[in-house]
Amino acid sequence: MEQKALCANNVRKQYKEKLALDGVSVTLEPGHIYGLIGRNGAGKTTLLAALTAQIPVTSGEVAYGGEPVWENEKALADLCFSREIGARADSGEAALKVKDYLRMGRLFYPHWDEEYAQALIKQFGLDVKQKIGRLSKGMQSMLTIVLALASRAPVTLLDEPVAGLDVVAREDFYRLLLDDHMATGRTFVISTHILEEGAAIFERVLILKEGKLIEDTPTDDLLARFCAVSGPAAAVEAACEGFPVLHREALGSHASFVVRAPAADITARGQAVELNALSLQKVFVALCGHEQEGQA
Amino acid sequence: MNTILSDQSLIYLQIAQMLEDGILHGDWAEGAQVPSTNELARTLRINPATAAKGINQLVDDGILYKRRGIGMFVAEGAAARICAKRRAAFYDQFVRPLAAEARSLDLTREETEALLAKAFTEKKEG
Repeated sequence: MEQKALCANNVRKQYKEKLALDGVSVTLEPGHIYGLIGRNGAGKTTLLAALTAQIPVTSGEVAYGGEPVWENEKALADLCFSREIGARADSGEAALKVKDYLRMGRLFYPHWDEEYAQALIKQFGLDVKQKIGRLSKGMQSMLTIVLALASRAPVTLLDEPVAGLDVVAREDFYRLLLDDHMATGRTFVISTHILEEGAAIFERVLILKEGKLIEDTPTDDLLARFCAVSGPAAAVEAACEGFPVLHREALGSHASFVVRAPAADITARGQAVELNALSLQKVFVALCGHEQEGQA
Repeated sequence: MNTILSDQSLIYLQIAQMLEDGILHGDWAEGAQVPSTNELARTLRINPATAAKGINQLVDDGILYKRRGIGMFVAEGAAARICAKRRAAFYDQFVRPLAAEARSLDLTREETEALLAKAFTEKKEG
Protein backbone atom coordinates (compact mmCIF):
# COMPACT_ATOMS: atom_id res chain seq x y z
CA MET A 1 0.00 0.00 0.00
CA GLU A 2 1.23 3.47 -0.81
CA GLN A 3 1.95 5.34 2.37
CA LYS A 4 1.51 9.08 2.51
CA ALA A 5 1.17 11.57 5.34
CA LEU A 6 -1.99 13.62 5.83
CA CYS A 7 -1.16 17.13 7.05
CA ALA A 8 -3.17 20.05 8.35
CA ASN A 9 -1.28 23.30 8.23
CA ASN A 10 -2.56 26.12 10.44
CA VAL A 11 -6.19 25.24 9.75
CA ARG A 12 -8.88 27.61 10.96
CA LYS A 13 -12.61 27.01 10.68
CA GLN A 14 -14.97 29.81 11.52
CA TYR A 15 -18.67 29.08 11.83
CA LYS A 16 -21.02 32.04 12.19
CA GLU A 17 -20.59 32.53 15.90
CA LYS A 18 -17.83 30.15 16.72
CA LEU A 19 -14.18 29.58 15.87
CA ALA A 20 -14.29 25.78 15.73
CA LEU A 21 -10.64 25.24 14.75
CA ASP A 22 -8.08 27.78 15.82
CA GLY A 23 -4.88 27.28 13.85
CA VAL A 24 -4.52 23.49 14.00
CA SER A 25 -1.38 21.97 12.54
CA VAL A 26 -0.91 18.23 12.65
CA THR A 27 0.81 15.55 10.58
CA LEU A 28 -0.69 12.07 10.49
CA GLU A 29 2.22 9.82 9.64
CA PRO A 30 1.42 6.59 7.81
CA GLY A 31 1.08 3.36 9.75
CA HIS A 32 -0.01 4.65 13.14
CA ILE A 33 -3.16 4.59 15.24
CA TYR A 34 -3.99 8.02 16.62
CA GLY A 35 -6.48 8.86 19.31
CA LEU A 36 -8.20 12.23 18.89
CA ILE A 37 -9.63 13.26 22.21
CA GLY A 38 -11.42 16.32 23.45
CA ARG A 39 -14.57 17.34 25.23
CA ASN A 40 -17.86 17.80 23.41
CA GLY A 41 -17.58 20.89 21.23
CA ALA A 42 -13.77 20.91 21.25
CA GLY A 43 -13.71 20.60 17.44
CA LYS A 44 -13.02 16.88 16.93
CA THR A 45 -15.63 16.29 14.22
CA THR A 46 -14.79 19.58 12.50
CA LEU A 47 -11.11 18.62 12.36
CA LEU A 48 -11.88 15.18 10.90
CA ALA A 49 -14.22 16.73 8.32
CA ALA A 50 -11.59 19.33 7.40
CA LEU A 51 -8.88 16.68 7.04
CA THR A 52 -11.02 14.81 4.53
CA ALA A 53 -12.24 17.89 2.61
CA GLN A 54 -15.85 17.37 3.65
CA ILE A 55 -16.04 21.00 4.73
CA PRO A 56 -14.11 23.99 3.38
CA VAL A 57 -11.65 25.54 5.82
CA THR A 58 -11.62 29.27 6.52
CA SER A 59 -7.85 29.46 6.20
CA GLY A 60 -4.85 27.16 6.22
CA GLU A 61 -4.54 24.01 4.15
CA VAL A 62 -4.84 20.25 4.25
CA ALA A 63 -2.51 18.14 2.13
CA TYR A 64 -2.11 14.43 1.46
CA GLY A 65 1.31 13.35 0.26
CA GLY A 66 2.05 17.04 -0.31
CA GLU A 67 -1.01 17.61 -2.55
CA PRO A 68 -3.97 19.71 -1.39
CA VAL A 69 -6.96 17.45 -0.70
CA TRP A 70 -9.72 19.90 -1.65
CA GLU A 71 -11.48 18.66 -4.83
CA ASN A 72 -8.56 16.26 -5.32
CA GLU A 73 -10.15 13.01 -6.40
CA LYS A 74 -6.90 11.06 -6.20
CA ALA A 75 -6.22 12.11 -2.62
CA LEU A 76 -9.83 11.61 -1.52
CA ALA A 77 -9.77 8.05 -2.86
CA ASP A 78 -7.31 7.22 -0.09
CA LEU A 79 -9.20 8.93 2.72
CA CYS A 80 -12.24 7.67 4.60
CA PHE A 81 -14.17 9.68 7.16
CA SER A 82 -16.80 7.53 8.84
CA ARG A 83 -19.17 9.91 10.56
CA GLU A 84 -21.18 9.27 13.65
CA ILE A 85 -24.74 8.45 12.54
CA GLY A 86 -26.61 9.20 15.75
CA ALA A 87 -25.66 12.86 15.64
CA ARG A 88 -27.73 13.33 12.51
CA ALA A 89 -30.66 11.04 13.20
CA ASP A 90 -33.22 13.42 11.68
CA SER A 91 -31.29 13.77 8.42
CA GLY A 92 -32.13 11.78 5.31
CA GLU A 93 -29.83 9.08 6.56
CA ALA A 94 -32.30 7.71 9.11
CA ALA A 95 -34.62 6.55 6.33
CA LEU A 96 -31.84 4.68 4.52
CA LYS A 97 -31.53 0.96 4.89
CA VAL A 98 -28.27 -0.53 6.16
CA LYS A 99 -27.56 -2.05 2.74
CA ASP A 100 -28.09 1.32 1.02
CA TYR A 101 -25.64 2.96 3.41
CA LEU A 102 -23.07 0.29 2.61
CA ARG A 103 -23.77 0.63 -1.11
CA MET A 104 -22.68 4.27 -0.79
CA GLY A 105 -19.44 3.02 0.73
CA ARG A 106 -18.96 0.67 -2.19
CA LEU A 107 -19.45 3.55 -4.64
CA PHE A 108 -17.42 6.06 -2.67
CA TYR A 109 -14.32 4.17 -1.72
CA PRO A 110 -12.24 2.64 -4.52
CA HIS A 111 -10.39 0.36 -2.06
CA TRP A 112 -13.74 -1.06 -0.78
CA ASP A 113 -13.56 -4.71 0.33
CA GLU A 114 -17.03 -6.24 -0.04
CA GLU A 115 -16.02 -9.62 1.37
CA TYR A 116 -14.67 -7.95 4.52
CA ALA A 117 -17.85 -5.86 4.79
CA GLN A 118 -20.03 -8.97 4.59
CA ALA A 119 -17.93 -10.78 7.21
CA LEU A 120 -18.21 -7.81 9.59
CA ILE A 121 -21.99 -7.51 9.06
CA LYS A 122 -22.34 -11.17 9.93
CA GLN A 123 -20.07 -10.88 12.95
CA PHE A 124 -21.98 -7.86 14.31
CA GLY A 125 -25.38 -9.35 13.50
CA LEU A 126 -26.44 -6.28 11.50
CA ASP A 127 -29.76 -6.59 9.68
CA VAL A 128 -29.08 -5.13 6.22
CA LYS A 129 -32.80 -4.58 5.52
CA GLN A 130 -33.35 -2.50 8.64
CA LYS A 131 -33.71 1.28 8.39
CA ILE A 132 -30.80 3.12 10.00
CA GLY A 133 -33.12 5.25 12.11
CA ARG A 134 -34.55 2.11 13.72
CA LEU A 135 -31.19 0.67 14.70
CA SER A 136 -30.06 0.85 18.30
CA LYS A 137 -27.27 3.30 19.08
CA GLY A 138 -24.84 0.40 19.36
CA MET A 139 -25.84 -1.01 15.96
CA GLN A 140 -25.49 2.46 14.40
CA SER A 141 -21.95 2.61 15.79
CA MET A 142 -21.23 -0.81 14.35
CA LEU A 143 -22.47 0.29 10.94
CA THR A 144 -20.01 3.22 10.96
CA ILE A 145 -17.28 0.75 11.94
CA VAL A 146 -18.16 -1.60 9.05
CA LEU A 147 -18.02 1.34 6.64
CA ALA A 148 -14.65 2.49 7.99
CA LEU A 149 -12.95 -0.89 8.08
CA ALA A 150 -14.34 -2.16 4.75
CA SER A 151 -13.37 1.10 3.00
CA ARG A 152 -9.77 -0.19 3.23
CA ALA A 153 -8.76 3.45 2.83
CA PRO A 154 -5.06 3.92 3.65
CA VAL A 155 -6.05 6.75 6.00
CA THR A 156 -9.27 6.06 7.87
CA LEU A 157 -10.86 8.48 10.32
CA LEU A 158 -13.59 7.29 12.68
CA ASP A 159 -15.74 9.79 14.54
CA GLU A 160 -16.81 8.45 17.94
CA PRO A 161 -16.99 4.82 16.76
CA VAL A 162 -17.37 3.46 20.27
CA ALA A 163 -19.88 6.00 21.61
CA GLY A 164 -22.81 3.59 21.43
CA LEU A 165 -20.91 0.43 22.33
CA ASP A 166 -20.78 -1.34 25.67
CA VAL A 167 -17.45 -2.43 27.08
CA VAL A 168 -17.58 -5.91 25.50
CA ALA A 169 -18.35 -4.52 22.04
CA ARG A 170 -15.62 -1.89 22.49
CA GLU A 171 -13.07 -4.59 23.17
CA ASP A 172 -14.26 -6.51 20.09
CA PHE A 173 -13.97 -3.38 17.97
CA TYR A 174 -10.43 -2.61 19.15
CA ARG A 175 -9.39 -6.20 18.50
CA LEU A 176 -10.71 -5.95 14.92
CA LEU A 177 -8.98 -2.61 14.49
CA LEU A 178 -5.64 -3.96 15.70
CA ASP A 179 -5.92 -7.07 13.53
CA ASP A 180 -6.60 -4.96 10.46
CA HIS A 181 -3.90 -2.44 11.37
CA MET A 182 -1.33 -5.22 11.82
CA ALA A 183 -2.35 -6.90 8.57
CA THR A 184 -2.41 -3.77 6.42
CA GLY A 185 -0.48 -0.98 8.16
CA ARG A 186 -3.39 1.41 7.57
CA THR A 187 -3.42 4.70 9.44
CA PHE A 188 -6.36 5.19 11.78
CA VAL A 189 -7.61 8.19 13.69
CA ILE A 190 -10.20 7.41 16.35
CA SER A 191 -12.02 10.28 17.94
CA THR A 192 -13.47 9.42 21.31
CA HIS A 193 -14.09 10.58 24.82
CA ILE A 194 -14.21 7.02 26.15
CA LEU A 195 -10.61 6.40 27.11
CA GLU A 196 -10.62 3.19 29.14
CA GLU A 197 -9.11 1.06 26.36
CA GLY A 198 -7.61 3.95 24.45
CA ALA A 199 -4.24 4.22 26.16
CA ALA A 200 -3.39 0.70 25.05
CA ILE A 201 -4.58 1.21 21.48
CA PHE A 202 -3.43 4.72 20.57
CA GLU A 203 0.23 5.05 19.78
CA ARG A 204 -0.15 8.79 19.75
CA VAL A 205 -2.71 11.08 21.31
CA LEU A 206 -4.05 14.32 19.86
CA ILE A 207 -5.90 16.49 22.36
CA LEU A 208 -8.17 19.27 21.16
CA LYS A 209 -9.30 21.95 23.55
CA GLU A 210 -11.54 24.78 22.39
CA GLY A 211 -10.40 24.41 18.79
CA LYS A 212 -6.70 24.29 19.61
CA LEU A 213 -4.49 21.22 19.44
CA ILE A 214 -2.90 21.20 22.89
CA GLU A 215 -1.16 17.81 22.68
CA ASP A 216 0.27 15.74 19.84
CA THR A 217 2.33 13.26 21.81
CA PRO A 218 3.18 9.56 22.02
CA THR A 219 0.75 8.12 24.58
CA ASP A 220 3.50 6.75 26.81
CA ASP A 221 5.37 10.06 26.87
CA LEU A 222 2.19 11.94 27.74
CA LEU A 223 1.37 9.57 30.61
CA ALA A 224 4.96 9.70 31.89
CA ARG A 225 4.71 13.46 32.40
CA PHE A 226 2.19 13.05 35.20
CA CYS A 227 1.86 11.05 38.36
CA ALA A 228 -0.43 10.60 41.32
CA VAL A 229 1.24 11.14 44.68
CA SER A 230 -0.41 10.05 47.89
CA GLY A 231 0.52 9.68 51.54
CA PRO A 232 0.68 11.84 54.67
CA ALA A 233 -0.31 15.38 53.67
CA ALA A 234 2.98 16.97 54.77
CA ALA A 235 5.05 14.43 52.86
CA VAL A 236 2.90 14.84 49.73
CA GLU A 237 3.25 18.65 49.94
CA ALA A 238 7.02 18.34 50.29
CA ALA A 239 7.31 15.82 47.47
CA CYS A 240 5.27 17.96 45.04
CA GLU A 241 6.55 21.42 46.00
CA GLY A 242 7.37 23.53 42.98
CA PHE A 243 5.60 21.25 40.49
CA PRO A 244 2.21 22.17 39.00
CA VAL A 245 -0.46 20.39 41.01
CA LEU A 246 -3.51 19.80 38.82
CA HIS A 247 -5.77 18.18 41.34
CA ARG A 248 -5.80 17.85 45.13
CA GLU A 249 -7.77 15.56 47.36
CA ALA A 250 -7.49 15.44 51.11
CA LEU A 251 -8.93 12.89 53.49
CA GLY A 252 -8.00 13.64 57.08
CA SER A 253 -4.23 13.89 57.28
CA HIS A 254 -3.89 11.90 54.05
CA ALA A 255 -3.51 13.67 50.71
CA SER A 256 -3.52 12.67 47.04
CA PHE A 257 -2.20 15.03 44.37
CA VAL A 258 -2.14 14.78 40.61
CA VAL A 259 1.06 16.50 39.64
CA ARG A 260 2.71 17.40 36.37
CA ALA A 261 6.11 15.89 37.06
CA PRO A 262 7.86 12.67 36.07
CA ALA A 263 7.74 10.03 38.82
CA ALA A 264 11.55 10.04 39.05
CA ASP A 265 11.54 13.73 40.06
CA ILE A 266 9.07 13.04 42.87
CA THR A 267 11.01 9.98 44.05
CA ALA A 268 14.17 12.10 44.15
CA ARG A 269 12.60 14.20 46.94
CA GLY A 270 12.94 11.16 49.21
CA GLN A 271 9.53 11.55 50.86
CA ALA A 272 7.53 8.59 52.17
CA VAL A 273 4.81 8.83 49.52
CA GLU A 274 3.16 6.37 47.18
CA LEU A 275 3.46 7.03 43.46
CA ASN A 276 1.14 5.81 40.74
CA ALA A 277 0.92 6.38 37.02
CA LEU A 278 -2.22 8.12 35.78
CA SER A 279 -4.66 6.59 33.34
CA LEU A 280 -5.16 8.43 30.06
CA GLN A 281 -8.61 9.35 31.29
CA LYS A 282 -7.19 11.06 34.38
CA VAL A 283 -4.60 12.90 32.31
CA PHE A 284 -7.35 14.07 29.98
CA VAL A 285 -9.46 15.32 32.88
CA ALA A 286 -6.41 17.06 34.35
CA LEU A 287 -5.72 18.84 31.04
CA CYS A 288 -9.27 19.59 29.91
CA GLY A 289 -11.47 19.28 32.97
CA HIS A 290 -11.20 22.69 34.58
CA GLU A 291 -13.82 24.55 32.62
CA GLN A 292 -17.51 25.25 32.66
CA GLU A 293 -19.74 22.35 31.73
CA GLY A 294 -22.30 22.50 28.99
CA GLN A 295 -20.66 23.95 25.91
CA ALA A 296 -22.12 22.02 23.03
CA MET B 1 2.41 -15.19 33.27
CA ASN B 2 -0.03 -12.56 34.41
CA THR B 3 -1.67 -11.10 31.33
CA ILE B 4 -4.01 -8.63 32.96
CA LEU B 5 -2.90 -5.08 32.27
CA SER B 6 -3.54 -2.35 34.79
CA ASP B 7 -3.36 1.38 34.34
CA GLN B 8 -1.04 1.71 37.31
CA SER B 9 2.06 1.82 35.14
CA LEU B 10 2.96 2.39 31.51
CA ILE B 11 1.90 -0.45 29.28
CA TYR B 12 5.27 -1.07 27.65
CA LEU B 13 6.82 -1.43 31.11
CA GLN B 14 4.12 -3.95 32.01
CA ILE B 15 4.92 -5.90 28.83
CA ALA B 16 8.61 -5.99 29.78
CA GLN B 17 7.76 -7.05 33.32
CA MET B 18 5.36 -9.72 32.11
CA LEU B 19 8.02 -11.28 29.88
CA GLU B 20 10.61 -11.04 32.67
CA ASP B 21 8.22 -12.83 35.05
CA GLY B 22 7.73 -15.57 32.47
CA ILE B 23 11.48 -16.02 32.02
CA LEU B 24 12.09 -16.00 35.76
CA HIS B 25 9.38 -18.61 36.36
CA GLY B 26 10.64 -20.82 33.56
CA ASP B 27 7.79 -20.25 31.07
CA TRP B 28 10.52 -19.53 28.51
CA ALA B 29 13.90 -21.17 28.98
CA GLU B 30 17.13 -19.65 27.73
CA GLY B 31 17.21 -19.90 23.97
CA ALA B 32 13.41 -20.23 23.73
CA GLN B 33 11.36 -18.01 21.44
CA VAL B 34 9.06 -15.50 23.16
CA PRO B 35 5.74 -14.30 21.68
CA SER B 36 6.03 -11.89 18.77
CA THR B 37 4.99 -8.26 18.84
CA ASN B 38 1.85 -9.10 16.89
CA GLU B 39 0.94 -12.02 19.15
CA LEU B 40 1.31 -9.82 22.22
CA ALA B 41 -0.67 -7.01 20.57
CA ARG B 42 -3.50 -9.33 19.56
CA THR B 43 -3.71 -11.22 22.84
CA LEU B 44 -3.44 -8.18 25.12
CA ARG B 45 -5.30 -5.81 22.81
CA ILE B 46 -2.53 -3.24 22.69
CA ASN B 47 -0.88 -1.25 19.95
CA PRO B 48 1.87 -3.34 18.31
CA ALA B 49 4.25 -0.37 18.62
CA THR B 50 3.76 -0.47 22.40
CA ALA B 51 4.43 -4.22 22.49
CA ALA B 52 7.56 -3.64 20.42
CA LYS B 53 8.71 -0.96 22.85
CA GLY B 54 8.45 -3.40 25.77
CA ILE B 55 10.34 -6.08 23.85
CA ASN B 56 13.02 -3.61 22.78
CA GLN B 57 13.63 -2.60 26.36
CA LEU B 58 14.46 -6.24 27.14
CA VAL B 59 16.75 -6.36 24.11
CA ASP B 60 18.56 -3.27 25.45
CA ASP B 61 18.85 -4.97 28.85
CA GLY B 62 20.36 -8.08 27.26
CA ILE B 63 17.40 -10.27 28.28
CA LEU B 64 16.20 -10.96 24.74
CA TYR B 65 17.96 -11.04 21.41
CA LYS B 66 16.67 -10.80 17.89
CA ARG B 67 17.14 -13.40 15.19
CA ARG B 68 16.43 -11.54 12.02
CA GLY B 69 13.38 -12.79 10.20
CA ILE B 70 12.62 -15.39 12.87
CA GLY B 71 11.78 -13.65 16.10
CA MET B 72 12.85 -12.82 19.63
CA PHE B 73 14.66 -15.29 21.86
CA VAL B 74 15.71 -15.49 25.50
CA ALA B 75 19.39 -14.65 25.88
CA GLU B 76 21.88 -16.83 27.72
CA GLY B 77 22.02 -15.86 31.41
CA ALA B 78 18.75 -13.89 31.11
CA ALA B 79 17.12 -15.41 34.20
CA ALA B 80 20.22 -14.72 36.32
CA ARG B 81 20.34 -11.13 35.07
CA ILE B 82 16.66 -10.56 35.89
CA CYS B 83 17.22 -12.18 39.28
CA ALA B 84 20.17 -9.89 40.08
CA LYS B 85 18.24 -6.79 39.01
CA ARG B 86 15.21 -7.70 41.09
CA ARG B 87 17.32 -8.60 44.14
CA ALA B 88 18.77 -5.11 44.01
CA ALA B 89 15.23 -3.70 44.15
CA PHE B 90 13.89 -6.24 46.64
CA TYR B 91 14.68 -4.25 49.79
CA ASP B 92 13.00 -1.03 48.65
CA GLN B 93 10.13 -2.68 46.86
CA PHE B 94 9.15 -5.39 49.33
CA VAL B 95 11.05 -5.31 52.63
CA ARG B 96 10.62 -1.67 53.54
CA PRO B 97 6.87 -1.63 52.82
CA LEU B 98 6.55 -4.86 54.84
CA ALA B 99 8.29 -3.29 57.83
CA ALA B 100 6.20 -0.12 57.50
CA GLU B 101 2.93 -2.06 57.41
CA ALA B 102 4.07 -4.24 60.34
CA ARG B 103 4.83 -1.11 62.39
CA SER B 104 1.45 0.40 61.63
CA LEU B 105 -0.19 -2.84 62.81
CA ASP B 106 1.88 -2.79 66.04
CA LEU B 107 3.53 -6.06 65.09
CA THR B 108 6.90 -6.42 66.80
CA ARG B 109 10.05 -7.25 64.91
CA GLU B 110 10.00 -10.74 66.48
CA GLU B 111 6.39 -11.34 65.48
CA THR B 112 7.09 -10.16 61.95
CA GLU B 113 10.17 -12.36 61.65
CA ALA B 114 8.13 -15.33 62.91
CA LEU B 115 5.54 -14.72 60.19
CA LEU B 116 8.26 -14.47 57.61
CA ALA B 117 9.77 -17.76 58.83
CA LYS B 118 6.32 -19.37 58.60
CA ALA B 119 5.84 -18.14 55.03
CA PHE B 120 9.16 -19.73 54.08
CA THR B 121 7.99 -23.14 55.34
CA GLU B 122 4.78 -23.07 53.28
CA LYS B 123 4.68 -24.81 49.96
CA LYS B 124 5.93 -22.84 47.02
CA GLU B 125 2.91 -21.47 45.23
CA GLY B 126 2.46 -22.42 41.62
